[in-house]
Amino acid sequence: MKRRKFIKKTTKAAISASVFPYILPSGIIGKKTTSMMADHVVFVLFAGGVRQQESVLQRYLAGSQNEDVEGNILYNMLAGPAPETKIAYGTDDNENDIIGRFPIDALLQNSLESQGTLFPEVQFSRGGTGHFGGLVTGVSGNYSSVDVGGLQSRPAAPTIFEYLRKHSGFKATDTWYVGLGTGGSRPLLNYSLHPDYGRKYAGNFIAPLVTFGNPGQNHFMNFKNYHETGNWDKVLEIRDFINQNFSQEGFEIPHLYNTTDEDNFIKSFVKSTFAKGDNVFLPPVNDNQDLKVIGYTLELLHWFKPKVTVVDLSNVDVCHGNFTAYLKNMHRADHGIGFLWKEIQNIPGMSGNTTMIVMPEHGRNLNPNSILDVNDWQAYDHSDANSRRIFTLMAGPGIDAGLRVGSEDEPVGDAADVVPTIADIFGIKQTVYDEGLIDSNARSLFDRL
Amino acid sequence: MQIFTKLFLVLFLFVFISSCEKDVYEVYEVNSLEVLPVNADKDKAKSDAQYVSILYTNYFQIPIGPNKLLEALNAIRSIGDKQIAYDIIVSKYLNQSPIMPTKTEMDADPETFIRSTYFRFLTRQPTEAELAWMLNYINSDSAITPDLVYLAFSTSNEYYYY
Repeated sequence: MKRRKFIKKTTKAAISASVFPYILPSGIIGKKTTSMMADHVVFVLFAGGVRQQESVLQRYLAGSQNEDVEGNILYNMLAGPAPETKIAYGTDDNENDIIGRFPIDALLQNSLESQGTLFPEVQFSRGGTGHFGGLVTGVSGNYSSVDVGGLQSRPAAPTIFEYLRKHSGFKATDTWYVGLGTGGSRPLLNYSLHPDYGRKYAGNFIAPLVTFGNPGQNHFMNFKNYHETGNWDKVLEIRDFINQNFSQEGFEIPHLYNTTDEDNFIKSFVKSTFAKGDNVFLPPVNDNQDLKVIGYTLELLHWFKPKVTVVDLSNVDVCHGNFTAYLKNMHRADHGIGFLWKEIQNIPGMSGNTTMIVMPEHGRNLNPNSILDVNDWQAYDHSDANSRRIFTLMAGPGIDAGLRVGSEDEPVGDAADVVPTIADIFGIKQTVYDEGLIDSNARSLFDRL
Repeated sequence: MQIFTKLFLVLFLFVFISSCEKDVYEVYEVNSLEVLPVNADKDKAKSDAQYVSILYTNYFQIPIGPNKLLEALNAIRSIGDKQIAYDIIVSKYLNQSPIMPTKTEMDADPETFIRSTYFRFLTRQPTEAELAWMLNYINSDSAITPDLVYLAFSTSNEYYYY
């Protein structure tokens, strides 16, 4: 009899546990989640348009300039031999005045492709192929959330930061968008306008080249951190009193709900990074802005060990007027990504516990425009069907190594897939699907294997 | 004589009737008035440019130059959490010798300090309750300095609205 009672009770408990929502440590009620595949995700998003021909197809000049030279200029990311002649993507030979003559050494012994899974033919399936539209799709998993101009506007659909903060109870400093600059919509991509999400669940944003560049040096550097003097509590007491006497609902400085400890942690990070000056953890070659952003991103990863970091590299956005510079910046982005992946393996807590996802926000045209560069090479805009072709590469715990999924003839994957993929990694994929706010084509890449 | 008496009676009746008026009772009331806080009219958020321009003038008593303003705006936009960005920029300005009372001046006449601080940053006088709280706060803690008070005022929600 007792045994029967015990079985009854345990069956009831098991059913309740699987049906009813869980109460997270933060007090947020979340739906059922599955176990996490990794504790950290770094999503590198190119905002500049990368052609398949010069990336996964490894056609170098053969696919664009009618020159019979093929090869892989992204050898930290992709497996394949580098071009042997007409090298123009490396560092300059200033002595002999030859642009891009010296290829940058590979940093990874095994490419990310050989360590992870590559979706070589992914579709940017809807809307116009604009840079900010692409970035919005990358962070929100939705195309319809992109407005007409795409400038100076927040996404309409929730971002991955908001999903994770609302449903996984992540702190604000667990989620970061690292942008190249403050132009256009970039500082607005950390949270959406969606009424059920928004600022309350925002990720933090930083544009380190501005924060630690001239603007920050003149207006932030050497600021007095009152947290460190032990007087911050007094400032807060006075401020709270003033704020209580101005208690009009919703009338507040648009903060991101960082706690007092997180607020202190961010200020200490800013102060500490200023103190480092030129000793920021930069890649061996760091002659463009993207590579400096990578360096500051590593500082941020070391400091906060965020759950999700989106890094936006934009220097490849020169292909419409300077094909040589486009090749050089792609090669540097690959160098930066190799460096980032290598150094993450030296960060305690993130080493072996981080998934990296790399995806251009969209592609570029098949046919050139009329602009020629210093090498008489043709330039490419982004508006035709070829600009809808991109790739997605991911590596990390539990991800099959050396796997290719899809091909030019059989595309697999969508630009909107990254949001459900990250949600899948953190165990909230079904919740994100159930919310119904991502594109109908969007699937976790793990479900496309 | 009878005619005269009749006429007199008619006249008397006419005067009597016409002099009778109905009493009019006037009722005086007070119009209803919604009592709002002294800062209730501040309902427009400052833009970053407005915030920095006014902040700079409040601290240094001179207008910020256009290049400096653009740089400050860029710096603010580079940090997503506006409260943190404002905290940092104000803390930086506090380290650049702004024009403000000394600790000795504040301690010598805290009421004047409080009134001038409210006027400088919130463009109004404190209510009696605010004045009492501030006086008590300053008088009860010798570690309170003008920069702490200035930092709190210029990063408060009321300062952000106009």
